[in-house]
Amino acid sequence: MQNLWKILLRYSNFLVFILLEVAAFLLLFYNQAYPRSSVLSTANEVIAWQYEQEEVIRDYFRLKRINSQLAEENAMLRNQLALLQGDSAISYHSVRVVQLTTDRLHNYLTIDRGENDGIRRGQGVRNQDGVVGIVRTVGLNYSVVLPIINMQTNLSCRFKKNDFVGFLQWDGSDIRYAQLADIPSHLVVNIGDTIVTSGLSPVFPEGLPVGVVESRVLHEGDSYYTIRVRLQANFKRLKYVEVIKNANQDELEELEETEYGLD
Amino acid sequence: MDLTKQIIRYVVIMVLQVLLVDQLQLLGVCHPFIYVMCLLLMPITSHRNTEMVIGALAGLVMDVFSNSLGVHIGACIFVMFLRPYVLGMLVTDIDRLNEQVSLRSLGAGALIKYTVILVLIHHLAVFMLAAWSWSHFGYVLLETIVSGLLTILFVIGYNLLINR
Repeated sequence: MQNLWKILLRYSNFLVFILLEVAAFLLLFYNQAYPRSSVLSTANEVIAWQYEQEEVIRDYFRLKRINSQLAEENAMLRNQLALLQGDSAISYHSVRVVQLTTDRLHNYLTIDRGENDGIRRGQGVRNQDGVVGIVRTVGLNYSVVLPIINMQTNLSCRFKKNDFVGFLQWDGSDIRYAQLADIPSHLVVNIGDTIVTSGLSPVFPEGLPVGVVESRVLHEGDSYYTIRVRLQANFKRLKYVEVIKNANQDELEELEETEYGLD
Repeated sequence: MDLTKQIIRYVVIMVLQVLLVDQLQLLGVCHPFIYVMCLLLMPITSHRNTEMVIGALAGLVMDVFSNSLGVHIGACIFVMFLRPYVLGMLVTDIDRLNEQVSLRSLGAGALIKYTVILVLIHHLAVFMLAAWSWSHFGYVLLETIVSGLLTILFVIGYNLLINR
């Protein structure tokens, strides 16, 4: 026993090192799978507030561009109003982007609305051009959004022309393009085909624009295309985005949970 | 260098890191982490476990700012664990570093070697943990070299100009 104690004491640095690293890795895995802690993210009140102040200063120098963006957005909203009078379950809420990264493998954006404003994990985010991402972590007054340009994102999309569904992912190289997988080679895919949301999940309503086919490659022997999609949303200039609230989302997810026993 | 001064230095460097360095967007591979300098320049003590915990805390703060919980924590603990061994290789009597790790106490050659080794290890660890796959290894390596080089220049510049 005494010898064991001596050995433990002698290698205590190494043991503490291993323990701390194990804790760090657990945190890393747990947070990637279930990012529940909004305090330890940029949805944290203090940190988001600081980024917001920074944006306020920067806004001053880009008022002209923001004006034109707002005008565009107004027009788009009016169009939507006309469309939406048919579907009352879905509503759009304009939010401001307070922080955004675009040059990493895992990019995020922080928006200035949170739980207090009815934002929930898993809601869709779009702008006037198309799909932006999905809400990931929700704080009281701020939330973190996982955009398409994050390697973790997996978006169910379909072709506008023939309803064929595939998954859109981002490979980490160029924020203007993403890759569409699972499209079998017997389909006719043309450059310029429009990709829209599939509507298979309650996150996005069906038919929201995502991108257009930029190029497609079919390697010999492959039964699936490699499709490069030019994204509609310009992530470099994201200023105002809209969170999509689906009044039926909770109910739909509850149904799925009871049906499939999914988490 | 006493504790208060170290804390003030850390806060100033963190503000620089978040407000200035994190906003740099050069070629998509330039993400220097200058905050690691505060860990490198901490005096060497016999409380190595405490040093590792301090490293974990510094990593946690950085992780919160970059939505990457766990990544910087892991890398910083590793750096704090290796630090005494690297210094032990470079200088003969490590005990005289209990006041400060600086240009004067280490000498130019050892300081540069020490900075290069640990900054590159730290950046490589951060980028590998963040990418979490071998398929981007080329990108990770480029990111490490470009960002690491900038951090190394910053640390050496700081030691030449301020921390003499």
